[in-house]
Amino acid sequence: MKHYSDLEYLRLSKGQKIGYKIGSFFTGIPGAIGHFFKNIGGAIKQGAQAVGNEFKDIGSTFANGDWKTKVSFFIMGFGNIARGQVLRGLMFLLFEVVFIGYMVLAGAHWMAMLPSLGKVGPSSEYNAILDTYTTVYNDNSFKILLYGVLTMFFIIAFIYTWRVNVKQNQIAEKILKSGKKLKSGKDDLKSLVDDQFHKTLLALPLTGILVFTVMPIVFMILVAFTNYDGSHNGYTNNLFTWVGLDNFNTLLSWSAGSGGGQSYSATFGEILAWTLIWAFLATFTNYFLGMGVAMMINKKGIRLKKMWRTILVMTVAIPQFISLLYVSKMFARNGLINLSLMNLGWIKQPLPFWENPMWARVSVIVINIWIGIPFLMLITTGILMNIPADLYESARIDGANAWQQYTKITLPYMLFITGPYLLTSFTGNMNNFNVIYLLTGGAPTNPAASGAAGSVGYTDLLITWLFKITTGADSQYYLASVVGIMVFVVVAFISLVVYNVLPSIKNEEDFQ
Amino acid sequence: MASVKLTGVKKIYDNKVVAVHDFDLDIKDKEFVVFVGPSGCGKSTTLRMIAGLEDISEGTVEIDGEVVNDLQPKDRGIAMVFQNYALYPHMTVYDNIAFSLRLSKVPEDVVFEKVNKAAKILGITEYLTRKPRALSGGQRQRVAIGRAMVRDSKVFLMDEPLSNLDAKLRNQMRAEIILLRKQLDTTFIYVTHDQTEAMTLGDRIVIMKDGYIMQVGTPTEVFEMPKNLFVAGFIGAPQMNFINTKLINEGGKYFVEPFGVRLPVDGEKGEALAKRKVQTRDIVLGVRPEHIRLAKPGAGAISCTLIVNEMMGSEFHLHVETKDGTRLIVRVPTVDLNKAEREELVSGHEMAVTFEGKVMHFFDPESQTNLLV
Amino acid sequence: MNEKRHMGLKSLNRASNTVIYILLIIISIVWLLPFVFIVLQSFRVENTYQVGYVIPQQWGLDNYIRLWTSDFKRWYLNTFIIALASAVLITIIQLCMSYTLSRFRFKLRGPLMRFMLILGMFPGMLTMIILYRVLADLGLTQTNAVPGLILVGVASSGMGYYVSKGFFDTIPKSLDEAARVDGATRFQVLYKIILPLAKPIVIYTILTAFMGPWGDYVFARYVAMGTSAGYNVAVGMYSWLTNDQINNWYTTFCAGGVIVALPVTILFLCLQKYYVEGVTGGAVKG
Repeated sequence: MKHYSDLEYLRLSKGQKIGYKIGSFFTGIPGAIGHFFKNIGGAIKQGAQAVGNEFKDIGSTFANGDWKTKVSFFIMGFGNIARGQVLRGLMFLLFEVVFIGYMVLAGAHWMAMLPSLGKVGPSSEYNAILDTYTTVYNDNSFKILLYGVLTMFFIIAFIYTWRVNVKQNQIAEKILKSGKKLKSGKDDLKSLVDDQFHKTLLALPLTGILVFTVMPIVFMILVAFTNYDGSHNGYTNNLFTWVGLDNFNTLLSWSAGSGGGQSYSATFGEILAWTLIWAFLATFTNYFLGMGVAMMINKKGIRLKKMWRTILVMTVAIPQFISLLYVSKMFARNGLINLSLMNLGWIKQPLPFWENPMWARVSVIVINIWIGIPFLMLITTGILMNIPADLYESARIDGANAWQQYTKITLPYMLFITGPYLLTSFTGNMNNFNVIYLLTGGAPTNPAASGAAGSVGYTDLLITWLFKITTGADSQYYLASVVGIMVFVVVAFISLVVYNVLPSIKNEEDFQ
Repeated sequence: MASVKLTGVKKIYDNKVVAVHDFDLDIKDKEFVVFVGPSGCGKSTTLRMIAGLEDISEGTVEIDGEVVNDLQPKDRGIAMVFQNYALYPHMTVYDNIAFSLRLSKVPEDVVFEKVNKAAKILGITEYLTRKPRALSGGQRQRVAIGRAMVRDSKVFLMDEPLSNLDAKLRNQMRAEIILLRKQLDTTFIYVTHDQTEAMTLGDRIVIMKDGYIMQVGTPTEVFEMPKNLFVAGFIGAPQMNFINTKLINEGGKYFVEPFGVRLPVDGEKGEALAKRKVQTRDIVLGVRPEHIRLAKPGAGAISCTLIVNEMMGSEFHLHVETKDGTRLIVRVPTVDLNKAEREELVSGHEMAVTFEGKVMHFFDPESQTNLLV
Repeated sequence: MNEKRHMGLKSLNRASNTVIYILLIIISIVWLLPFVFIVLQSFRVENTYQVGYVIPQQWGLDNYIRLWTSDFKRWYLNTFIIALASAVLITIIQLCMSYTLSRFRFKLRGPLMRFMLILGMFPGMLTMIILYRVLADLGLTQTNAVPGLILVGVASSGMGYYVSKGFFDTIPKSLDEAARVDGATRFQVLYKIILPLAKPIVIYTILTAFMGPWGDYVFARYVAMGTSAGYNVAVGMYSWLTNDQINNWYTTFCAGGVIVALPVTILFLCLQKYYVEGVTGGAVKG
């Protein structure tokens, strides 16, 4: 494709411009992907270099350090205590003691079990006292995996702390050599509310994220490589174990699942396609209609602005499960709408809002508009009012009509400002569990996908499917993990492309 | 009251951009030093390193003989006035000024006394109970200065304090800063991009560009003996005219030949050239607009066409174009011209000018440095 | 031609305004009607099932009395406790996080923010399975679901720092610097300068943290695992609308909806100003 310079581009006609943009978008993709991998390559190279430097630094610290430093390589915090920084030293020492204690008592055991995820499952044994057979539980795959992950985190934390300990000795020696004094324990405590205040502030939030987000995600990624499900729960029935890439093969394979019907990959593809269509429509219908409502209310000469806004804003506050469940029942086969219409004699048969795939899909999108517009109205109102009035004034003097003002000023301005919001909104809609689950629960069921786990329906998104898989009859957790990873891959891919290719996000500053 | 000493101070940002290169400067006790330069020259960064708001990548900053690199801003004994005033919007003027005193646990009656004294000096007593948003720009500026005053600091730092004010107010506040300085009698470091402020306020001026110091000197020194082309162009308004030409040494007599017209170099400049035994060579000739005189067309005069005439009241700024298309700015006091001469000065007027020989500047075209410094 | 150019502006404006008024009235009706229906049906006595009309034939408070005698009380209390605890704890955590990321420049800041961006791309639901098992091991599920839900909700809330960071970014940094030159420690800067200025975003954060649990369905259902005593309102009321329950509980659901929505909506309308400031100031910039 021919590449135009900026000035050449400005001379193109409107159609040519659009064509050129679309063209360069798609030709840009390979470049962006290539760039991405190049970045990864670069990062790996840098990382390797950094690790090399670390080792060099550790080595030279040991070689050049005094005896206090050398002892600290084995007894953490020794150097600190010997140099008078008792508080720091004791913290290091305490951490080392706890770590070694944990590893000896439990950690080593879990790490040893991790490669097999348990050897002995539950067994029936004769119990002489009760004179009957009872089940004896042995290894617990779930716990092994969980504590294995925990132990790995602990080991990483220990290595990092050890490294800090070594570095501190090196720094302390340097400071003492230059004739200055080291910080005392009191200084350390003081700095926690001053120059090190960020550490104090972040300690709690980051611990929470580490324990309740990072570790679960690592765990669930690992589950994708096991056969953990309802019948292999790892403790009371069968142990589960590593299966490599089998689950990914299953999801992407052309063969049908256990119940027959179409292939797994076809089911997955269908759900993914609907998820993307849904996310696109849900995002942009809300965006443009919400902006439209906001502009109507904002228009000069419209009275009772506050009342119109309050009416809509009120609906933002009502918990979604109430409005969604109520509306879902309203549109049901025997719900308010169908019954009233039949009472009025307008229809003979109930309208198949939730029974017909097409009706159901259109219905969820329409109802989502109902749910989403007030929020979008709120967001866009503020931004619309921030558009400098002189832009419109000069456009009017230049002879632009209302529609031209919208397409030439309002829309570009809004797209620039809300670009990042649109992206998060798109990915948020991909994972919009509430709207789909509370409205349809994924219904109507897709008979062709009967082979797949968790009774797939026509309005199911990947995320509701994931939920159904875990709560379905045989709880195929491993498959849910694979689906979760796929969601991540799709979201990450879209975000990356949007950030790298779309100019509206790159040139965010243009209007500021 | 203290000296400030910067030795090899460097600022390197994370992205490896060097904002300040090896900055060496000795500021004496009670001296008023101005950092001046175009935006992005590193003047604010240097000030902020002295204040402790920016890490010092290399080198040392000493205040009163003590290295303060690792000290928090509050422990450096400094006070600072910010460009956008940085008044705490939720506090009254009184609380704003009292903030630092209260943090250091000064008794309330002492606080009261000090705040009132500062307010009186600055003429803001009647606004003490107001919130900053109810004040005008000039009043806010005074509050910001008041807040810095009560700290009894060793060094007083000001970061473009007047750049948010309109021209008239700026002139007024400039005069007040001079008065304030007399009253406080302490070391001042003042950052500005405005050369007029620098010239009028500073005991010494530090002219910076791209993170390098271009010249350090008194206002007279930097004006009369600019070290290089940059300083020559930066100090003085309208800007100095630069002409690529030849310097000719004819047996100890010096001439320049701008636009093919031979003009003598005499006075101190001629002597200085002779003393250094400068040979005939290419130079960049620098002539300030006020050192160009109108002349009768003919030999020894550069003929040119008037393009624009800016009437400034007390003087004319004439933009003229020579035959080869070079633009020059000429500054002519209104009183030097009679009515007929003034009325002639319209666009397209053919005229001639000549340069004052004893106040020319000569720069090396390669190194851009002044031949006489 | 000339005629048209001169009279156009005013009458055109009037016509378009009329169209807008009509549209706004239609919109208001469409948006409010379902809620009006809920309220009306909550007072219906004659039939607890869905019917083809909205105005009750027989009015009464039966449904509200029935709420009082059912497990609803317990669910409501559960939800209220969770909402209250979340409002306090989530606000503290998010403010710590966002203030730090807005104001401090430390080595790991960039990587940390990128890391959290990537973490956010994983569907949160993925972690439910393990979190459920961990909570079960700690004894925080089923009847003890409330502390469990608070713990999980609060622990990861640091990820949602974007909005308030956006707000903090708008407070000029020179205020911090001036305070530090004036002798304040970083803690004093936060406490004496930033927090008083951050009132809108603090209220916004409290409001959203309080409102969240009222609509929280999926994880609450997971953690309660069929034990009614551990339900929140969403899970409990959802169980009334399953195919075998809806005939008995439909109108009671409407009454419950009114009781749940009323306080939240009133609170929201009172604090609307701050909410709008929060979403437009912080959310959009991301």
